[in-house]
Amino acid sequence: MVKSPEPALEAKNIYRRYKSSGRGVEDISFSVAPGEVFGLVGPNGSGKSTLLRVLSTAIEPDGGTFFVAGADGLREKRKVRARMGLMVDRPTHYGDLTGRANAYFFARAYGVGAAKAEAVVSELLDFFDLAEYADDRVKTYSYGMGKKLALVEALAHRPEVLLLDEPSLGLDYTSQLAFQRKVRELSETGVAVVLASNQVDEVESLCDRVAFLYRGKVIAQDTPEALVSSVEGVRRISATLRNPVEYGPVAAVPGVGRVVPEGRNLVVHCGERPGIVADVVAGLVRSGGDIVSLSVERPNLEDVFVKLTGEALRRED
Amino acid sequence: MRISPPDAYWKKDVVLFFGKRFALAIKMLYPLAIIGPVAASDIPAQYAAAVIGIVAVMAGTFGAGESLTSDLNDGILVRVSLTPLSPYRIVFEVLAVNVLLDFLQLLPALFVVFLLHPVPLVWIFAACVALFATLVAANCIGIFIANFTSSPADVLLYATAILFPLFYVSGFFRNQNPDGILLALRSFVPFAYANDALKTVFGLTTSTAPLEAIVYPVVICGVMALGVCFTAPHLLRTRF
Repeated sequence: MVKSPEPALEAKNIYRRYKSSGRGVEDISFSVAPGEVFGLVGPNGSGKSTLLRVLSTAIEPDGGTFFVAGADGLREKRKVRARMGLMVDRPTHYGDLTGRANAYFFARAYGVGAAKAEAVVSELLDFFDLAEYADDRVKTYSYGMGKKLALVEALAHRPEVLLLDEPSLGLDYTSQLAFQRKVRELSETGVAVVLASNQVDEVESLCDRVAFLYRGKVIAQDTPEALVSSVEGVRRISATLRNPVEYGPVAAVPGVGRVVPEGRNLVVHCGERPGIVADVVAGLVRSGGDIVSLSVERPNLEDVFVKLTGEALRRED
Repeated sequence: MRISPPDAYWKKDVVLFFGKRFALAIKMLYPLAIIGPVAASDIPAQYAAAVIGIVAVMAGTFGAGESLTSDLNDGILVRVSLTPLSPYRIVFEVLAVNVLLDFLQLLPALFVVFLLHPVPLVWIFAACVALFATLVAANCIGIFIANFTSSPADVLLYATAILFPLFYVSGFFRNQNPDGILLALRSFVPFAYANDALKTVFGLTTSTAPLEAIVYPVVICGVMALGVCFTAPHLLRTRF
């Protein structure tokens, strides 16, 4: 029998609750294989960042344990930190140091040799289009540039496990593509990636498996394909309107679950039944909407998100 | 040894210290601006010594406490603590580099003092060591305070609450000739030895021998430094 490889990251029954707010995570277990990209998705306050804080050894869990490349996350913190790359949701840097100096400082703190650190930092700064600004003080950087620098700092020591909290939020489109290319490249070289994000399209395209968190608990965990197939019978109707409208009549159409305005677009999540598209269009027209374009899309992780959180809410009722 | 780009916490602080020229000029000049006129004047020796002592203590305590709390607030120090660096090493480096930079700031002023008040070399050495120890103690207090607050304003408040009784016990102003329990307490406060050494520099005779002004504060500050380094896991914890 072929022995399955040791997980790069294994979390067992992680429990952590904040005394002040009562929020946190409970009984969370999952494992991530080397080279696997694992997504954490959930509404704000669902516990994604808390879970990443525990896994990054920033806070201790009240219960449960975790292992990073075989090292015990509670007893061998420094070993775990050495094997892990980390990008927090609100990255900070030394503003009076240059981008290169910040990245070099972190690479050396992770034990990378001087010459190698210089080379890797230059290569990564170049990859994320920061080379031109590498010798500017970080306090002159934009938010997106700061996030890219945080990615450089997370990657420079070639970690075995990478924890990323909302990594591409605030990045321009080109940088998002560069980030996604880098994650795929790392995954091919055996780096396990845990990606907490609410950008479901990115999660769907990058992740091999996804866990949905809701109020601190994992309510579903599977491959994106399997999760999306679980919402068969759901459609997304996306309408571009010439003018914003009060969409009450659309929401009132039988079978419509949720209406989300996105700029001039209106995204309608609805069930599958004959004539529903025509009814939604009629609802839009009754609302005074002047439709410029309309598309009916297959369900994606966003629909899974809506379905799962809706189900969880109903269970609570 | 290459300092920039920094590859250690202390080097980072050195780079930041020398990185801003205007701030550097102010930092180097303000002790001189306060201590220089005092040294040149003919105010009583005990008050001249007190001024230098207080400048050193305030600079040390507020400097370490404020920069630490601002780095903690910012989240950058916690991020650094999530690297494989030992938290004890980080705090030791914070302490060591702050003390050295504070001492560097005091050096021009001390040079003026020793120039205007020539004393035997042993007393110059004793005063320098005792002042260095005072800076260690002051920085230890600043770091200790940062364990309990992440607000730079609170650092000022707590530091004042801690330092004023220590100033009193040290005999900076009142309580020049303590006895009984105050005398016993005074021997545990490192500022007292710097105060005695500086009084001697300014021409007063004290009962403290040069060796005492060197050995005792070094021992006391060694213990304080060790103690404050042990607070590292608590100091560098993620705060909410």
